[in-house]
Amino acid sequence: TRSCLLCVKMTKLGFLRLSYEKQDTLLKLLILSMAAHPNTCLNELFLVGSYFNYRTTRFLTEEGFYKFHNWFDDRAWYPLGRIIGGTIYPGLMITSAALYHVLHFFHITIDIRNVCVFLAPLFSSFTAIVTYHFTKELKDAGAGLLAAAMIAVVPGYISRSVAGSYDNEGTILSQRYVVYSNAFKKASIGKVLEFVKYQIETYTLLFKSLVLFLYWLMLGKISPWTGRFYSLLDPSYAKNNIPIIASVSEHQPTTWSSYYFDLQLLVFMFPVGLYYCFNNLSDATIFIIMYGVTSMYFSAVMVRLMLVLAPVMCILSGIGVSQVLTTYMKNLDVSRPDKKSKKQQDSTYPIKNEVASGMILVMAFFLITYTFHSTWVTSEAYSSPSIVLSARGGDGSRIIFDDFREAYYWLRHNTPEDAKVMSWWDYGYQITAMANRTILVDNNTWNNTHISRVGQAMASTEEKAYEIMRELDVSYVLVIFGGLTGYSSDDINKFLWMVRIGGSTDTGRHIKEHDYYTPTGEFRVDREGSPVLLNCLMYKMCYYRFGQVYTEAKRPPGYDRVRNAEIGNKDFELDVLEEAYTTEHWLVRIYKVKDLDNRGLSRT
Amino acid sequence: MLLLYSQNVRPFFILFLMCFALIACFFRASLCAEGLVNEDVKRTLDLSSHLAKITAEIQLANHGASRVSGFTLALEAELAPHLAFIGASVKGEEEEDESLELKETTVHGQSGKFFEAQLPSSLAPGAKLRVKVETVFSHMLKPFPTHITQAERQLVVFQGNHYLYSPYPTRSQTTRVRLASKTVESYTKLGNPTKSDETVEYGPFKDVPPFSQDAMKIHYENNTPFITISSVTRTIEVSHWGNIAVEETIDLRHTGAFLKGPFSRYDYQRQSDSGISSVKSFKTILPASAQDVYYRDEIGNISTSHLQVLDDSVEVEIRPRFPLFGGWKTHYIIGYNLPSYEYLYNLGDQYALKIRLVDHVYDDQVIDQLTVKLILPEGARNIHVDTPYPITRSQDELHYTYLDTFGRPVLVATKNNLVEQHIQDVVVHYTFNKILMLQEPLLVVGLFYILFFTVIIYVRLDFSITKDPAAEVRMKVASITEQVLTLVNKRLGLYRHMDEVVNRYKQTRDTGALNSGRKTLEAEHRTLSNDISALQARLKAEGSDLAEKVGEIQKLDNQLKDLVCRSCQEAERLVAGKVKKDAYIDSDKTLSGKRQELVSRIDSLLDAL
Repeated sequence: TRSCLLCVKMTKLGFLRLSYEKQDTLLKLLILSMAAHPNTCLNELFLVGSYFNYRTTRFLTEEGFYKFHNWFDDRAWYPLGRIIGGTIYPGLMITSAALYHVLHFFHITIDIRNVCVFLAPLFSSFTAIVTYHFTKELKDAGAGLLAAAMIAVVPGYISRSVAGSYDNEGTILSQRYVVYSNAFKKASIGKVLEFVKYQIETYTLLFKSLVLFLYWLMLGKISPWTGRFYSLLDPSYAKNNIPIIASVSEHQPTTWSSYYFDLQLLVFMFPVGLYYCFNNLSDATIFIIMYGVTSMYFSAVMVRLMLVLAPVMCILSGIGVSQVLTTYMKNLDVSRPDKKSKKQQDSTYPIKNEVASGMILVMAFFLITYTFHSTWVTSEAYSSPSIVLSARGGDGSRIIFDDFREAYYWLRHNTPEDAKVMSWWDYGYQITAMANRTILVDNNTWNNTHISRVGQAMASTEEKAYEIMRELDVSYVLVIFGGLTGYSSDDINKFLWMVRIGGSTDTGRHIKEHDYYTPTGEFRVDREGSPVLLNCLMYKMCYYRFGQVYTEAKRPPGYDRVRNAEIGNKDFELDVLEEAYTTEHWLVRIYKVKDLDNRGLSRT
Repeated sequence: MLLLYSQNVRPFFILFLMCFALIACFFRASLCAEGLVNEDVKRTLDLSSHLAKITAEIQLANHGASRVSGFTLALEAELAPHLAFIGASVKGEEEEDESLELKETTVHGQSGKFFEAQLPSSLAPGAKLRVKVETVFSHMLKPFPTHITQAERQLVVFQGNHYLYSPYPTRSQTTRVRLASKTVESYTKLGNPTKSDETVEYGPFKDVPPFSQDAMKIHYENNTPFITISSVTRTIEVSHWGNIAVEETIDLRHTGAFLKGPFSRYDYQRQSDSGISSVKSFKTILPASAQDVYYRDEIGNISTSHLQVLDDSVEVEIRPRFPLFGGWKTHYIIGYNLPSYEYLYNLGDQYALKIRLVDHVYDDQVIDQLTVKLILPEGARNIHVDTPYPITRSQDELHYTYLDTFGRPVLVATKNNLVEQHIQDVVVHYTFNKILMLQEPLLVVGLFYILFFTVIIYVRLDFSITKDPAAEVRMKVASITEQVLTLVNKRLGLYRHMDEVVNRYKQTRDTGALNSGRKTLEAEHRTLSNDISALQARLKAEGSDLAEKVGEIQKLDNQLKDLVCRSCQEAERLVAGKVKKDAYIDSDKTLSGKRQELVSRIDSLLDAL
């Protein structure tokens, strides 16, 4: 950012005695090298959705397009399966597969995995360049440079485009902006030629691309798009009707703090840019105003749509900052000291120079803090793969919890090839990609009733759950348990959603949410907790033999460090399950479903 | 079958065997004709790991009439398929052991596996010789029971032979068995053996006929890591740029007793003897110069490993993602770089690579299947491989990686059932034309050349299908202005030069030099001014308003030139003594002040351009 700012200054002050074209080229090169520099170089996939996309891409590169197109995936949604070729948007996979083949044609033997990992940073680099051109169409090159510099580091966008997040969302932006800026270029020619006709065309194009984008974002991997789409228009829709959509943390309304966390300076400079746009109304600025305001609304509905907001925030803030800077740069007395005598003070604006330099210093300070904030947020919040957790030990050293991969790898190598793993849907993609085992439900939450069935199994007693598990032909059950380490997004904390989703269909009508609360309406795992909760399958799987474990000094055994309570049901044996594997920090626990006994009778 | 007979059948059996041996002698006269006898045999069975290592020290005597140049080693038919390694050496009196070359052979009418050992010097009748035979068998120790729970200890059964299996009669022999622990469930009691702590000693047995077999069975506790490398692919990629990259893809399996029932993490963490036969970690020893070690698998880096750099090696503590219990398996990749100067030798175009065919993974390792892939540099020819032991070569392959055009030759070789004794060097000879080293940098250079060339073409040439007159004019004007700038600067330089001439004149009073200087100034100034005027005219023709500015510069320059001339005249007058020094200084000051002003005005105009 700073170097770009410097460039802007140099352009304005004419320090560089270069022709306009040369300056332009130089600046473009600087943007290319600075803003478009990929962000990280980790070799892991981060986000949950990435695993699925990676798996499909690998299939595409290995098996070819036609096999991919006809691919029926029997690893997911057992026993239903999933027609992958027909239900996903293959653009991303085809792009990376094409890239992979081109590279391999030139004997650049990059693993397909690395292609996938680095596709997002590559495209975000393109985004920076395209943002420059787009903003240039809106205002001028200076604003374009600022916007490009801002989008290069904005956490809201980086969170989706770091190396390892292999998803439609991260890559789509650059493509979209190409459409926009081309549309504007067309529009400016259109004015000369056939004003009205082109304008109409432009608007339809823009409108289409906006709709298309939202449509894409919704559809990216989501089939019951109607639900999510409705919840965009009416934020309370999902909460009232479809618990599964409401249960996803990405679909929660955005908090104020996360705006600041993800955007920082942009939050304040966005209105400045809007003000400028209102002052200079043209087709382009009207469009950007509309775009900015609608994405503001969308981002407020769902956290994940922050991604839509971040770039337009960058554009408008770029315009705003550039406007402020140009206004005050003009007032800056740049003459050399020897000529000072010649300049006369403007009597209507007494300390013009000081105000201008003060303003520019403040702006520079803001931009610098923005850079630092963005770097900090990116490194703290968005740079660690969600699959590997880390904590600080008592002596300040870093402790790594690699339990997820430990468990998935164990599944991959030490269970039968055709084993079916039941888990809550959050871990579905990870299990198929890393453990290579068949799963019942995954992150593609298209079949509400199937997920509900799994929720019912988790929420029922062992006896009842065994019936469901036999019905679903489950061989292993996997749960995430954070009670020993204090990992708070574990299955017990998600459990109420399982109850709600389980109870939302006909087959689970007997599961009532209030049964799992104490009479006073609390969700407790200790002695006071509801007996239904204390005897359900999920509780038993999480706390099996946990009652003997000392987790904290001066606490009784079986003290849950997430719920901060001594568990209520300690001494129990499992009838229908047996512990197959528990990871080192107890984060993942895998149970094997016992067969019927020799006489074919149920175990309970 | 032979192991199952009972005590009372044994004498008959021995008789039978003797007859059999006689018959065999009849057919293969050479065997008996040698008249070799095992005078004294000391056998050691080391069963303390998951391998069965059997060493026999044999005192061989030639009781025959003729000299003997070799002898035969025999292995029981039951043991033969498990044989991983066999080696024989002659024990010298003082000098070092001399290892013997072994050649597989057959003995008519006898089951088992036989090796012919050639002696370095033939054995005279009546002479004696001490021979040491080392054998290593894998998967000989069978877990019994085959399935155990996490709390149980692992028991294994070894089934072998009490006697040395030999085609020659044995006068006297002892057998000593080393076990892994004191706990022994049962052991065969032939000849009333003595057991102390971890060893069982049999014998001495006197006068054992050839090919004697008597089933030895020991059932004991053995919790040593029963891990087996079910397959390993070792890829060695040689680069002449100074690096050898080694990568091993390893499939590991715990081949001890299977885990029965649940795995309890609680017990495993709480009780130290829970899952005592499981494997948590092991050490892999890499060469001392190994660098950039990585340890990963299909789903990424494995975060649980430690690297320790020692003086003579690099030790990696390999910890699989999960502890390995009986029947569990895992898969990982370990790789590192080595500097090539330690392994690659050359004489002109002749190269020799000397590197371990298989390397250490863990102590007492067993490799069921090994595949070695040696990737030589692109352009290596006349490849010749010297292996330390026979190994199956497969079809050579071609490997393409960065900047390759016609592919690197890959030598592929496989071998089954390897142990630690197989960690030996392979030597690969090949020729490589050093000119080929330039191929890759040239490729890169060419690529950049093409890239820059395209950029130049793209920037310099106009590819648009419509004409943009404004842009064209702008570009023309820009180029003209640039020319004007250089010319004006040159002209200003002329004045500075003239100043120097005047100063020199003031000191030397050489009128001739001054005049010639003035002449050149005039001449050059005229040409430059004319050029500028021409450019100004072109600017005007292009309709640019810059022409006026250039005109202004010209006007200012005229004044400037006048001033230069005047200062020149002043100097002349000073030298001629027509003006006083003070007056000259005054006028000079005003003149230079005016000049300064003019120059700065021209400068600002130039800036505007």
